Amino acid sequence: MAEQTIIIEIDDGGKIKAATEGIKGEMCLDEIQSLIEGFGELHSVKKTDEFFQGQTLNVTNKIHSRIE
Amino acid sequence: MSAIVKTITPFIEKEMLLQALDCVGCRYTLNHDQIITERKDYYGQQKFVWYKGRYSFQHDSSAELSEFNRRWGSYPEGWKNNWKAYQSVNSFLQAVEKEYNRIYSEKLAELERIRLEKIAEQERIRLEQEMKRIEQERLAYIEQQKQSIIQKAKEQGYSVQEKKVKNKVKLILRRNTY
Repeated sequence: MAEQTIIIEIDDGGKIKAATEGIKGEMCLDEIQSLIEGFGELHSVKKTDEFFQGQTLNVTNKIHSRIE
Repeated sequence: MSAIVKTITPFIEKEMLLQALDCVGCRYTLNHDQIITERKDYYGQQKFVWYKGRYSFQHDSSAELSEFNRRWGSYPEGWKNNWKAYQSVNSFLQAVEKEYNRIYSEKLAELERIRLEKIAEQERIRLEQEMKRIEQERLAYIEQQKQSIIQKAKEQGYSVQEKKVKNKVKLILRRNTY
């Protein structure tokens, strides 16, 4: 069992900052996007180690699939 | 032949005329639309009478002489020497006019000051209302953001914990995956 956490901060001007923990790969961006979509233009995206861990797993899985 | 004729300021405002009379030290009584002064002439007391939109001063043209006589005795020899001691109708009216104009100007200045104060007060109220409206819109928008995120998060299986950190709303969304 793994816990997925999203921390969202809304400042007094309505700006949103969202961070994920325990969600790997592009899924973390999808999760955030689904929650805050429509609330302003995206300013920046900083990808953490977990993001890239997810991509490595996907690539590894794809390679295994091809071999099989 | 040519002529230059000047009139004094028409006394239109009763209250200001009364104040002007006070200022020149002329006592008076009121009788309907008449302001009866303490000044006397052959026909009695000189008075201001409301006539065609202004207070017109009614007096006997020989008033100055009769008043002179009252003060200095019967038509005196050498009366011209003392003539300046008594305020003639003309100089009386000029003195009243001077005070009337001063009071009028002060009244106008006072009304202008009040007008500007009212405008400033109205503007202050308008700006306060505008600030309140902007602030309410901002808070409403943030509340809308928060509620929307909470609703979507719950639909996606997250538990939601809300905190207020300084001026920020902090939402902590958690879910377990297997």
